[in-house]
Amino acid sequence: MSTASAALPNREIPSFEEEASAFWRLRLRIAKTLVRQTFAQARFRAALIIVLSLVLWCGLFWLFHDGFQYLRAEIKHRETHDQLVQAIFSAFFAALLIMLVFSAGIILYGSLFRSPETAFLLALPARTEQVFLHKFQEAVLFSSWGFLLLGSPLLLAYGIVAQAPWYFYALLAPYLTAFVYIPAGLGAILCLLIVYYLPNNRGGALASFAALLLIGGGWYAWSLTRGPESNLLTPTWFMDLMGRLQLTEQRLLPNWWLSAGLIETARDEWSEGLLFLVVMIANALFCRQMAVWTAGGFFRAAYSALCGCGMKRKRARPALVDRTILNGLFFFPKPMRLLMVKDLRLFRRDPMQWSQSLIFVGLLALYFLNLRRFNYDVLYIGWVNMVSFLNLSVVGLLMSTFTTRFVYPMLSLEAQRFWLLGLSPLRRATILWSKFFFAAGGAILPCSSLILLSDAMLDISLFTMASHQLTCLLLCAGLAGISVGLGAALPNLREQSPSRIAAGFGGTLCLVVSTLYILVVVLFTALPTHFLLAAEAAYGGQYLEEHQSLHFYLKLWMTAGTLGSIALGILATALPLAIGFRAFRRMEF
Amino acid sequence: MKDEWSVGRKNHAQLSTLHSPLSTLHCLPPTFMIEFHNITRSYGRKLALNGLELTVKAGELFALLGPNGAGKTTAIKLLTGLLRPDSGGVTVCGHDLTHDGRNAAQAMGYVPDEPFLYDKLSGREFLQFAAEIRGLKVADAADAIERETKNFEMAEFLDSLIETYSHGMRQRLAFASALLHAPRVLVIDEPMVGLDPRSVRMVKDLLRRHAAAGMTIFMSTHTLAMAEEIADRIGILDGGRLQFLGTLSELQRELSSHHASLEALFLQLTEGEEEEQKKEEG
Repeated sequence: MSTASAALPNREIPSFEEEASAFWRLRLRIAKTLVRQTFAQARFRAALIIVLSLVLWCGLFWLFHDGFQYLRAEIKHRETHDQLVQAIFSAFFAALLIMLVFSAGIILYGSLFRSPETAFLLALPARTEQVFLHKFQEAVLFSSWGFLLLGSPLLLAYGIVAQAPWYFYALLAPYLTAFVYIPAGLGAILCLLIVYYLPNNRGGALASFAALLLIGGGWYAWSLTRGPESNLLTPTWFMDLMGRLQLTEQRLLPNWWLSAGLIETARDEWSEGLLFLVVMIANALFCRQMAVWTAGGFFRAAYSALCGCGMKRKRARPALVDRTILNGLFFFPKPMRLLMVKDLRLFRRDPMQWSQSLIFVGLLALYFLNLRRFNYDVLYIGWVNMVSFLNLSVVGLLMSTFTTRFVYPMLSLEAQRFWLLGLSPLRRATILWSKFFFAAGGAILPCSSLILLSDAMLDISLFTMASHQLTCLLLCAGLAGISVGLGAALPNLREQSPSRIAAGFGGTLCLVVSTLYILVVVLFTALPTHFLLAAEAAYGGQYLEEHQSLHFYLKLWMTAGTLGSIALGILATALPLAIGFRAFRRMEF
Repeated sequence: MKDEWSVGRKNHAQLSTLHSPLSTLHCLPPTFMIEFHNITRSYGRKLALNGLELTVKAGELFALLGPNGAGKTTAIKLLTGLLRPDSGGVTVCGHDLTHDGRNAAQAMGYVPDEPFLYDKLSGREFLQFAAEIRGLKVADAADAIERETKNFEMAEFLDSLIETYSHGMRQRLAFASALLHAPRVLVIDEPMVGLDPRSVRMVKDLLRRHAAAGMTIFMSTHTLAMAEEIADRIGILDGGRLQFLGTLSELQRELSSHHASLEALFLQLTEGEEEEQKKEEG
């Protein structure tokens, strides 16, 4: 404590460029530390993430490559082929455009209005626009990595099949980057205006907007598949499909610019390709600038308005759903019910936790609702079975993100405040069992309902439906066991943020084990069912009756597969739980 | 009961008449470094600040006291520009927070009760960012960092990642970052939370020395003894209103005339307001 700095007159406030450089240096320093730490302390995790991403990327690339080759082989006429590809691209990018608007809006809401970093930055003499831009770039990055993971294999596969010139690949990055900025900018403007004008009802406004969008999307998806069915890839089918995709083919939509520009580039029409790229970049910059201006005008006021929202009057009696758990689940001990109610309250009062999952559940429900409309009667019957199991896997993967993102961090957060539960007259096993039943119960309801909807729309047999429901039960119990067990065995006691806990080593391991478990369980039941149906379709029931041994072996395989999946389900539930119970009993506080 | 606090109220009234509403003379140094002019701010139906009038002069160390929910944090958030008033205005060095917030923020250093620090930066990198965003040139920034490192005895850990810091180290870094640009006004929310006795002494000495050098210090605290020890003037806020405003000597006169401690005075003042509030709510 030697000297006191004399108060100096005001210094000159840095220019916009100087501020931008300071923020870039800040991001760069943080990124460097993160990369250095990841490769020094979490090599396994980093390698696992890279390998899994590569596997997913290669799988998608293979799928798209085969799909484009099939189209090229089936549709010889170049113009027709290109028109169809453009229609597919437009529909694909239109769906992603809507997803990105929501995704960027939700991420920005969290980072602009709920992050302690924002309060720190707003108290500095930095421009409001610069603070917004700092968080906006972050949101663009977070919301678009999924888009890049899906979009890049699609476009690379197309380029290879279409024998596109070299500059097609060079233009992919600027095209995708420019495209991402448009929905991100729109999402940011929506987020700022909703918080500014409706600080008290922002949740309701967002939910109404999402519901409108889902209804609109549902109606559009239904309109795409309605009407008389015609044979696949015939001229009538083609004309019919093009007519139905008209909405996504609007010339003023960015998804059309992107698809038209890429197809023109792939056809070696470089001037057309560049023209569309320039249109995209101009619009991306416009959206970004509009978002910056909106932030300049509304961000601080919206931040202040949100802080000024009155606390909602809390009801003295528990909500209906809480009362249902407290009274309805009477067969559980009371402490367990109270813990479940506590976890449910924490879950539903943090929209950042469930909003994106809810959007995915909504989109899946829309997709399932429209399954009947697809012309699968013309297809091989085994495809229906494959689609039903594919749906089961997708729903399982969605549930695994719920258990990894929410249930796995619950144990770490509980352990950080363990003095509370640790000192209460509760058995530690009760705490873990409550988490397990909460997770399994929370997963089984949406999982089972979605699969029932999918099966009903696919019009599959009651026996297969029952088998799917059993698989659902196994999946949910196993996923809950894995997340609770690993959560208790590998808690992160330093991190406060659930998302960061889920992104750590334990969370990644939980996601990987959950994914493998889903794939193995579904394969155990799907493969024998598929081959049995395939044999019936190929040879007919009569043939199988005559060749009892083949029929017997197929049935045996199916029984073994079902029993195997049950055994695996029990193992996946019991083993992680046992490990977790042991670790939790030994935990000190 | 009300007459007992006439010194504070009279003083408050006198001060209110002294300053002009929102300084507009930008070419001259403002009379008051901090001005709350008839501030009202509510959270839904709850009125957090109700017509707050308060001014703080250059070189003054002002302590704002009050029970939980009195409006102290709201006053600090208004002063740092995080909140906007429903009516009235706040100025720092003559800069209105709503319309000229950047210049106000540039003249100010702020240490919140739970400071945000980037865990993945080292202390030095964090200070460099704070210096850059306040427009310090590279050489000036290096000098300022060296000066504050010495002031807060941070040399040992400055190049380690912030995520490895203890609470006290984090608090010292937050102080250093707020003082880096030698602000004319320092705003502190609960300065002593989590500090060990040695650090508490260090901060007290530092605050007094800065005030002596002309810096205006506005701090919100629950620690009555600290306010009593180092503050030039004390304000007691409750129910969104200033219940007492006076210098230390005025306070001491008040205390000696009633043979009361600051704690007793504080409890009596805030108890009365609580009862009034309960009556209003009832």
